[in-house]
Amino acid sequence: MNEQEFIVEMRGITKRFPGITANDGVSIQIRKGEIYAILGENGAGKSTLMSMLFGMIEPDEGEIFIRGKRERIDSPRRATQLSIGMVHQHFRLVSNYTVAENIILGMEPEKKCGPFPMVDIAGANAKVAALSERYGLQVDPTDVIEDLNVATRQRVEILKMLYREAEILIFDEPTAVLTPQEIAAFLDIVRGLRDQGKTVILITHKLEEIKQVADRCAILNRGKLISVMDVASSTTSDMARMMVGHEVSFSTPKAPPHFGSPVLRLENLTVKNAAGFNSVNSVSFEVRAGEVLGIAGVSGNGQNELADAIAGLQRCHGGKIILNGRDISNLSIRERVEAGVAYIPEDRHNVGLVLDFTLRDNLMLKQYYRARFAHRHVMDEIAFDEYGKELIGRYDIRSNQGDATITRSMSGGNQQKAVIARELDLKTPLVVFMQPTRGLDAGAVSNIHRQIIAERDRGAAVLLISLDLDEILDCSDTIAIIFQGHINKIAPAASLTVEEIGLYMMGVKGGEAA
Amino acid sequence: MTELLNMMIIDGLSFALPLFIMAIGGIYSEKSGITNLALEGFQGVGAFTGAFAAVFLAQSMTGALPYYVSFLCAIIGGGVFALLHALLCIRFRANQVISGVVMNILAMAMTTFLTKRINAAVFGHAGNKFLLGTSARFTVPVLSDIPVLGAVFTDVYPFEVIILVVAVVMSYVLYRTPFGLRLRACGDNPHSVDAAGVDVNRVRSVAVVISGCLSGIAGMSFAYSISANFSADIYLGYGYLSIAALIFGNWTILPAFGACLLFGLARSGGTVLIQQLGLPSSYNDLVRILPYVLTLVLLIFFSRSNRSPRALGEPYEKGKR
Repeated sequence: MNEQEFIVEMRGITKRFPGITANDGVSIQIRKGEIYAILGENGAGKSTLMSMLFGMIEPDEGEIFIRGKRERIDSPRRATQLSIGMVHQHFRLVSNYTVAENIILGMEPEKKCGPFPMVDIAGANAKVAALSERYGLQVDPTDVIEDLNVATRQRVEILKMLYREAEILIFDEPTAVLTPQEIAAFLDIVRGLRDQGKTVILITHKLEEIKQVADRCAILNRGKLISVMDVASSTTSDMARMMVGHEVSFSTPKAPPHFGSPVLRLENLTVKNAAGFNSVNSVSFEVRAGEVLGIAGVSGNGQNELADAIAGLQRCHGGKIILNGRDISNLSIRERVEAGVAYIPEDRHNVGLVLDFTLRDNLMLKQYYRARFAHRHVMDEIAFDEYGKELIGRYDIRSNQGDATITRSMSGGNQQKAVIARELDLKTPLVVFMQPTRGLDAGAVSNIHRQIIAERDRGAAVLLISLDLDEILDCSDTIAIIFQGHINKIAPAASLTVEEIGLYMMGVKGGEAA
Repeated sequence: MTELLNMMIIDGLSFALPLFIMAIGGIYSEKSGITNLALEGFQGVGAFTGAFAAVFLAQSMTGALPYYVSFLCAIIGGGVFALLHALLCIRFRANQVISGVVMNILAMAMTTFLTKRINAAVFGHAGNKFLLGTSARFTVPVLSDIPVLGAVFTDVYPFEVIILVVAVVMSYVLYRTPFGLRLRACGDNPHSVDAAGVDVNRVRSVAVVISGCLSGIAGMSFAYSISANFSADIYLGYGYLSIAALIFGNWTILPAFGACLLFGLARSGGTVLIQQLGLPSSYNDLVRILPYVLTLVLLIFFSRSNRSPRALGEPYEKGKR
């Protein structure tokens, strides 16, 4: 065919960072008007590859052709000129500007005020409204960004690209921050963009989404291109196997549980939110040693408050939290750690880790004061080092500078591994997991699920709170369903069907359990 | 009584306006994301450059020309000196607070030294000041006859007009032009500006230089009104006062103007009060602390509601997530 067949062609792209080869001789060809997915685990080099297409970094080796012409893309500005646009994982929006101001930034429509130029805000609003109409992306041009939810901000980012007349649209993990309903809406938008003739590149590790929208899919593993597959004729398990490099089982193998005596007992626990509303309303249940209790529910039904109250991040307003017969409701966080509570929080960036600390120091956060690591209030750097290296090895935490790596620079999956390593190594009788696999790829997910089961088998009581129903079903021995701050139903996992759980989650059924 | 009120307004305005133009400079710098404690030093260097030019020209010229040239030179002097702050903070990513403080110390030491050397070498006499004399004033006919408000148009220093014109232009640039839109975006999320293909560091450098230029006008104004000369006495903390004003103004120009007026009137009102009570003139020093006491009181009320630009004080790094 002619050279116009491929709108983007990357040949033999190699990019090295200190200590790591992020891309190793990767070649891909993308057709005009297709949805092309780039699939790989965290740290496989997907984002690096696309950063080079968008001009944020330049390849060490290899060539990039746009519309059949060789181009050197040395800046996002050059990429924009070539009508390439990118929506980053972390949005680049000015929080105190309106939607329209954000979209026109850098390419402002102007009008004259006497002899002086000025930004034509009214014109900008009209243009943005027209664009949003044309592509079915609902936004109000005069809304201020900080008042908008994540899905709307994402639409603003898409409009930014369209305003610059981008033809090639790159999305970096676009659905990581969206709710299931928002994901469905987003996938519709992507189809719409393709139907209007745009070429869409999706960086993702979610197989389901690829299956739903993508035409073709390139699979990367540790910086190398493994395969390019035609999505319609491949199964998700084929793609998963290629991505991880080995067979992935979607269910975690586990032996029958051996329940011991109750470790955690909640008695009529009540937690109020900032507005004084009972987010957790008189909740009572038990978790036994050797048991995984999964709490299922739709987001915002009191899960966060429940987990934070047990960990001590939030005050209890009524009822008791009893750990091995001792009331811990009024203990400080450290006292709870010492009493035996490990907590993997949902928000690893703000709660789980200090991002600007080294990996080693993050691993030490819950133990630095103990006699092994501190002598007369002076920290023992050597003991820190030994312990950090030990955990890194044992939990397979990958980073480019070992335990001295600044945590911020690590991939999401490895950051989560660090949190889990720190918490599980406390070997506490109770472990609370809050959304432990959020935003992680299939390989990392199954790894964490195995660790959850291993904790159970060690004899710990495990409380698993997750919005991901598959995760709950996969790991739990007992399932509790939370709805509007109440435990709506609690029963052995085997006795519940998915449909039933769904009905309890929506509050259609329930009320019979205490 | 009217006499006293007039005096309070006239003196209050002539102090508030230089503060205001300096605060606008600070707003430019901080809205672009560069912390600027160096206004004090910028106005000092501006006043030094302008005063030197005025004294030098006065040797061969009479009339109003040296006056206006001195302001032009103050703008240039303040701007060039501000380049150093921009260089340290932007190119070398120095801590912006430290750089600002260093600028102030450097300005004072440098200009004091140079004043003595220049007096000896150029003008052939010893001395640690450039003598300027106070600026001429004018009164607008008709308008000045309005009761109370007429004081605004009475005994006006020419620099007050210059400041108002510049302030209007600078407000227009900041809030209405593409450059202003980009500048304000740099202080909130520089990544978004970079992604839009605009050079963040260039915008910030320009903003810091503008803050130097505007501070230069302020310094020259103080030299022509309060002290009637240039000497180390110019470093009395007015730069810090204008920073307080821009913070109370929530980094926006019009409310900052209100804060400057308040400071100005507090100061002139205090002076009038001392005279009225017949207290010895040494009490004037007590009055000079009034704006600062006011600052402390206002801080209590404004600290909670005011929000500094989100990216203030952070050097821009492309890669940081």
